[in-house]
Amino acid sequence: MAADEGQDVITLTTDKLSADGVSESVTCPSCGAISLFIGTTRDNFEGKKVIQLEYEAYNPMAESELRKICSDIRTKWPSVRHISIQHRLGVVPITEASVIIGISSPHRNDSLEAVRYSIDTLKATVPIWKKEIYESGEPCWKENKECLWADGGKDSKVLQDAFH
Amino acid sequence: MFIHEYRAHISTRFKQVSVLYFAKSAELTGLKAENITVPSNITSLQLWQDLENRHPRLSVLRDQVVLAVRQEYVPLGAQLLTLRQGDEVAIIPPLSGG
Repeated sequence: MAADEGQDVITLTTDKLSADGVSESVTCPSCGAISLFIGTTRDNFEGKKVIQLEYEAYNPMAESELRKICSDIRTKWPSVRHISIQHRLGVVPITEASVIIGISSPHRNDSLEAVRYSIDTLKATVPIWKKEIYESGEPCWKENKECLWADGGKDSKVLQDAFH
Repeated sequence: MFIHEYRAHISTRFKQVSVLYFAKSAELTGLKAENITVPSNITSLQLWQDLENRHPRLSVLRDQVVLAVRQEYVPLGAQLLTLRQGDEVAIIPPLSGG
């Protein structure tokens, strides 16, 4: 069960993720709200049938970037109690969860906003990569539009400013 | 300068670092990691150019990649890195987590 102090639980695993597990890990008696986000794998992209996804991570940096997200959340929404972010790595079958975020807070506004912030920031900053394997055609390494250095986000001044 | 002084001089100015390749960059180089020796004072762009020299196929990523030095992002450019012996430098193609 959750302790008195606010906990940040970060999990990178090849195991199947569990929304119940995430929810239980952020439950606390003083919180009236738990907000959950589940990112699942779609079976199609631009008309192509996706048969499998594979995730790769720069593990130690992915963990440290996820911890930075937790720290940012606690600054922006001080009432947030517990945060759990699980990301799956390796092969993820279609419709299964690739990421689950759970956040508890006394009232619902903060956990809802913090969950939104978490997934948006994760997509922009956490060193994890997804490869889509299609029924026919070459596999493709995906690029999040949130990522500043993805194709189309090539404004070097924006990039330089973002890191300073 | 005696040979031992020369070696000491060189070792303070060059460092061996680990380069980690991820996603597309690992496929283009055929490597997950390698050790290279580079000047400790080098810009991020110069370091990238060194890697492109070793692995020309990396050039397709030039406009879509940043580095992570000691697990902090560094864009390719004039930023001077102060590399230390054993530092980790990761090649970071566009992210697709979540």
